[in-house]
Amino acid sequence: MEHIVRTNRLTKAFQGQEVVSNVSMNIRKGEIYGFLGPNGAGKTTMMKMMTNLVKPTSGEIEIFGEKLTPDSYHFLGRMGTIIEYPVFYDKLTARENLELHCDYMGYYNKKSIDEALELVNLIDTGKKKVKSFSLGMKQRLGIARAITTKPELLIFDEPINGLDPLGIKELRDVFRMLCKEYGTTLLISSHILGEIEQIADTIGVIQSGRLLREITMAEIHEETTNYIEIITSDCSKAAYVLTDKLQLNNIKVIDNQFVRIYDQHIAQSEITKTLVLNDVVIDSIHKRSSSLEDYFMQVLNGGGVRD
Amino acid sequence: MIKLMKLELRKFKIMGYIRGAAIANVIIFGFMMLMSYTPELDGTTVFRDYSTVFSMIDVFTRGTFIIFAAVLLGRFVIDEFNHKTITVLFMYPIKRQKIIAAKLMVVIIFTFICIVISMAFLSTVFLIVNAFTHFVPGELTMTLVMQQVVKLGFNALSACFMALIPLYFGMRKYSLPTTIVSSVIIVMLTCSNNGGGFNLNDFIIIPILLAFAGAAIGYMAIRKIDQIDIN
Repeated sequence: MEHIVRTNRLTKAFQGQEVVSNVSMNIRKGEIYGFLGPNGAGKTTMMKMMTNLVKPTSGEIEIFGEKLTPDSYHFLGRMGTIIEYPVFYDKLTARENLELHCDYMGYYNKKSIDEALELVNLIDTGKKKVKSFSLGMKQRLGIARAITTKPELLIFDEPINGLDPLGIKELRDVFRMLCKEYGTTLLISSHILGEIEQIADTIGVIQSGRLLREITMAEIHEETTNYIEIITSDCSKAAYVLTDKLQLNNIKVIDNQFVRIYDQHIAQSEITKTLVLNDVVIDSIHKRSSSLEDYFMQVLNGGGVRD
Repeated sequence: MIKLMKLELRKFKIMGYIRGAAIANVIIFGFMMLMSYTPELDGTTVFRDYSTVFSMIDVFTRGTFIIFAAVLLGRFVIDEFNHKTITVLFMYPIKRQKIIAAKLMVVIIFTFICIVISMAFLSTVFLIVNAFTHFVPGELTMTLVMQQVVKLGFNALSACFMALIPLYFGMRKYSLPTTIVSSVIIVMLTCSNNGGGFNLNDFIIIPILLAFAGAAIGYMAIRKIDQIDIN
């Protein structure tokens, strides 16, 4: 598959202190790349280097198949970005800001401004100046601005900051739609794992300036373990029934509230039947795979003990 | 470049500044009227002849619009860095040098036009009023007018480049107050009048040197802008 962004041993130091070290990252065309890392891990600096706001100390970046030099700027016309937090000319209205954006980008399809505002639910802001927008509204306007010109690559730094749950869901749908219908490639950074897990195709984990792992979601699903979780008021009895009657050894009781069964060979219906027959009240039972959170914590902890 | 300059004008709603310049003109005129009436109060003469009138107009307009230019520099350049909107601008497919150059051009041209129009406006209005009130003794000759046009034109040109000097101080810490204070210092140096209708700006070399300094500062602001990190 063709790569849209590649970095090779990218390093950036500020006053001798490395904030990004030797990062080699590969973003494929048409995918959603989730960029995960705790605060201060170097995500924003990476994104700033990709947009040429910050120049690398060493290493190189290739975007749309071309190597970036300190004075390249044409590639920026094919990108939409929010870096750090969205900034606007806050004495202007949402529409005026987007109009300016289109003029600077050399994009003259004014209809797309309405489409973008509609997509992020900001079409009714009228004469309201951006100054009086809430953080969530600014965030959505930032996304509208980035997508108005239908760019090939979108770089979003923590795009769901300050959004309410409904807004988050809507955005998730927008991201998926952009990726599926327009073939846009998205690079989204976040420290909220659950979010990235739901939309990303590939995940890059960065900590202290180092890319610890770059892995596709499909691979993660293979790596992470599945289990059946039972919620019951009588955990000890349930555990006894499971070990004694069903000969299951690989189970775990958590906080005296859940029982997790890691044995893969037994059917959920069989477990339910046996527990009910032995008078164990089941509040709920379902199959779970350990979340990305567990995986992420593992990677980070693994990363933490390095030299 | 013209397009970029137009966008700057739109972005910062230039009409508000034009209104500001008009108000400044009215105030200067009012001030000159007050000065014209002073002799009646204490017997001193402020306007000894017509060349004093023109030199007053010159000093007032340059002084006002050099500070005005500092405000523009603050809004157009320094605030963009302060409010981080510069990151948005520098992520457009436009050479960074061009973006900053467009901003500086807007400030230079706007300042120049303001100074020239104000000088013309104030001179005309003052002379019209004077035709009725006869504040100024002596005769207004064509030669004098021509001399003054050349002098004032040169001063306007040097002033609009001089007005870039505050950029140097303002950009060090992206500070609007520093920019404006340094412009006030420049005005104090070049437009102060020690009573004899004489100021530093009358040494021809001073405005030329300061204008070159301003142009050099503008050039330096642009030269390496694409090498720096925007944090």
